[in-house]
Amino acid sequence: MPTLKLPRALPGPAEPLAPPSPPALLLGRREFLKGLGALLAALAAPLTGMRRAYAAARGRFFTGHEFATLAALCDRVIPPDHDPGARALGAAHYIERMLTAFDHRVPLVFAGGPFSNRNPFPDNDDGTPSRRRPKNAFRHFIPPTRVQELRWRAELFGSAKVPGADFNDAVLGPLTGLRAIYRQSLRRVDKTARAMHGKAFVRLEPAEQDAVFALLDSGPASVRFAPDPRRGVTFIDLLVEHTLEGCFAAPEYGGNRRLGGWRMLGIEGDDQPLGYSIFSRAKGDYVERPDHPMSTPNPDEVAAPRPITPDAEKVQDTIIALTGIFAPD
Amino acid sequence: MARHRRDDDVLGNRGLARFDFCIVGSGAGGGTAAHVLAAAGQNVLVLEAGPNPFPGLDDPSGLPLPLHSNDELKYSIRHFVQQDGFLEPRTFRGDAARAAAVNEDVNVLPKAVGGAFQHADAKTPRLNAVDFRLKSTMDALIAATPGLEVPGFNVEPANFADWPFTYADLEPFYVEAEQLYGVQGKQGDNLFESARSQPYPMPPGVPMYFALLLAEGARQPLPDYGPLHPHTYPAAINSRFYDGRPPCVDCGLCSGFGCPNNSKGSPAVTTLRRALLTGRCQLRFNAQACRLVNDGGHVSAAEYIDGAGIRQRVTADAFVLAASPIESARLCLLSPTPGGAVLGNSSGQLGQNLMFHSQSNVNGFLPRRVHGQRGRAVTHGISDFRGVEPGGEDIRLFTVSGTPRVFLGGICEFGAPQGQPISEDGAVYAIQLPAFRGFRARMGLPLKNALRDGALGQHLFGLTMQAEDAPQRTNLVDLDPTYRDVYGLPVPRITYKPHTYEMAARMFYLPLMKQIVRNAGAPADKVFVTPTDQQQGAAPSSRHIMGTLRMGTDPATSVTNAGGRFHDVDNLYACDGSVFPTSSGYNPTLTIIAVALKITHAIAGTAPETG
Repeated sequence: MPTLKLPRALPGPAEPLAPPSPPALLLGRREFLKGLGALLAALAAPLTGMRRAYAAARGRFFTGHEFATLAALCDRVIPPDHDPGARALGAAHYIERMLTAFDHRVPLVFAGGPFSNRNPFPDNDDGTPSRRRPKNAFRHFIPPTRVQELRWRAELFGSAKVPGADFNDAVLGPLTGLRAIYRQSLRRVDKTARAMHGKAFVRLEPAEQDAVFALLDSGPASVRFAPDPRRGVTFIDLLVEHTLEGCFAAPEYGGNRRLGGWRMLGIEGDDQPLGYSIFSRAKGDYVERPDHPMSTPNPDEVAAPRPITPDAEKVQDTIIALTGIFAPD
Repeated sequence: MARHRRDDDVLGNRGLARFDFCIVGSGAGGGTAAHVLAAAGQNVLVLEAGPNPFPGLDDPSGLPLPLHSNDELKYSIRHFVQQDGFLEPRTFRGDAARAAAVNEDVNVLPKAVGGAFQHADAKTPRLNAVDFRLKSTMDALIAATPGLEVPGFNVEPANFADWPFTYADLEPFYVEAEQLYGVQGKQGDNLFESARSQPYPMPPGVPMYFALLLAEGARQPLPDYGPLHPHTYPAAINSRFYDGRPPCVDCGLCSGFGCPNNSKGSPAVTTLRRALLTGRCQLRFNAQACRLVNDGGHVSAAEYIDGAGIRQRVTADAFVLAASPIESARLCLLSPTPGGAVLGNSSGQLGQNLMFHSQSNVNGFLPRRVHGQRGRAVTHGISDFRGVEPGGEDIRLFTVSGTPRVFLGGICEFGAPQGQPISEDGAVYAIQLPAFRGFRARMGLPLKNALRDGALGQHLFGLTMQAEDAPQRTNLVDLDPTYRDVYGLPVPRITYKPHTYEMAARMFYLPLMKQIVRNAGAPADKVFVTPTDQQQGAAPSSRHIMGTLRMGTDPATSVTNAGGRFHDVDNLYACDGSVFPTSSGYNPTLTIIAVALKITHAIAGTAPETG
């Protein structure tokens, strides 16, 4: 697999095309962030002791309003068009499921294996798909080990709140839990929406929501989310990442409703136990699936490539330009 | 993956109480060692630090299916079997003058029953014959060639050394390794492969589309160089029913994933299972070794922290380190002698000569979709850029601007993304790509369009060269003075700086690699070179790792002898990539297995079993 390891992003406004001065480029993200201590201090305001009796139900973390705000945010990351947006794909539901992983007897962290029931077994006599399907093992989550559980509890609740998880906190600072990050940040999204437009985020038009999103992501330092000191990423980074997970991870994790995420991308998703090549005893060799070929172009691209959008072109060209700064030959 | 109850964390014969050998690590080295020693009648205890994705691996009635699955979230994001950077951080510094910082890229490998090889797409080329005597061959070439200057040898000398045995000595064990693990390949396909005494156990499986394009591109003559010799890539992946395991279905999520249907010949389902079925092997998992109890010249016990977090002690007659180079060396560093020295370090080189492969990535964007989600990650490659003569017995001499030169790079894998929309596509567009020139597909339709088109995931393809990394005493692992892991142990600190040796090879082969990608159909303005880790100020991202307990004949300059035994500890062996004196330019695992076979057959007094 070719590793497309990109230079670490320098946070902040757009960089010029001209190579930045070498010292800035050589800074790792973490080192760079150390310079942002003042901003971080602003974000470090502790959660007040709000008690939410209404959020106690199993598998529920957000209030109705918080959930609606989160779903609206997810929909700005992957908006609906002729394909579903992140809200319809269940991304917010995925995020709440992640944050409440420990509400379940077996925490919902690692889905089971080896197979879902989305594909049949191969028939190795003649190299075709059989009619037999496996039972869905993805539904049966795998109990984490002691240290895996400690790790995920720290991820959700914070390293200071989990016994045995604070072993590097004296040096690195505590790991803030995702639950606190979401609760605090959603409040701040609303605060910003009210300051800009006088209304809660969910009551804004999509274009207004985009403007709030952009301000919180890349606005002035006093307004935008600062990177979390230990994680090195902002709330928007986490939101985007988790939204993508909610759209494109296996549906057993709570998102990717009706496999709409995979269908939108034109990829097959998990495809065991069938796969793409089936060994045939009759032929003494492999048979490929004509609709999903392995050694030849996709059926719709035999004559000519399918054009890509300017957005995709721009991603490709930006990657090339960025790597060119480092390897100018 | 049951937890908390210690009895649950055991596979194999629970009744064994006395052990001839205690092996630390259950991967390619440890699993292989357990198989040979248990088959020879020895009682073997294997300590594995990670969890068990293979419930029922010791079931004599048949090999059960594992917990592995096609699940991007579980593997690439939530680290089901991969070492976790929060629980077990590692630190990195570019040289000893700098302070080390926690770095989550430092050779994170799977930590689970069956070891790191289960995550790999199981590529298993052999080394070349010349690799085992590179130092003496190069010295002779330099002496015979006026004007030949070779960084690492007669210029800026590195710490190259011959292996204490030859390719011919190892060849029978390569054969046994290929048969045990079930390797597919085609004899005679690779012009540069050294002599084989037996054919591959299975033929190659179905080729991938983009790999055929790159192979065609490589066959077109390159200016000033001539045509290259693409070949099918040997891999321990079944292409037939073999050893009670089914043929691979080319499901795609291969590199970085465990195999859901056991068609990959990973250590758990091959050697480790054989060892467990002898009745003479016990495997304890979730067992993090933390100290070897010793008197300076002899190890009497190993201490480990079990799945419940309780420190345990186990005795055995002899001990075998197979925890991979960083962890095997770290266990010695965590085991002071009564005199306060590091166990096994009378040479002063323990932990040093740490090698990663120097990876060069040249990629392009193909106009057609590459559909890399169908296949077993890498089906083809070229070995021309290893820089040896056909047959791999001699170093190839180039003439550049009238000057004699040598360029020992490595095998090139033909690769493409495997269809991971979250971690390969979305994360790059929306998070990793900086707001460069004011653009990043951060959100909205730009992100959605880029994802739907698979701007990266469906169009990127190219070459990864696994070039030889010069052994240097200053590249090393030691104990970090500041950071701890979840077990309270000091974490490994990696100090690493590339050598001119590998950078010279990189600069020589990069233009050729770019030409191949162009010839394969990428437009000239869509071909690019990924910056090196050092250019990015990053830790080595290669998952190939060698050295730290190098083997040799001279106790003054090596840690272990030709039999893998520590020169200065009478019952301690190393049996993983840590014993490699040099790194060559080929994926290391088959050689790790072959060396483990050679070491343990010698201990047991048995001969390789080949069919």
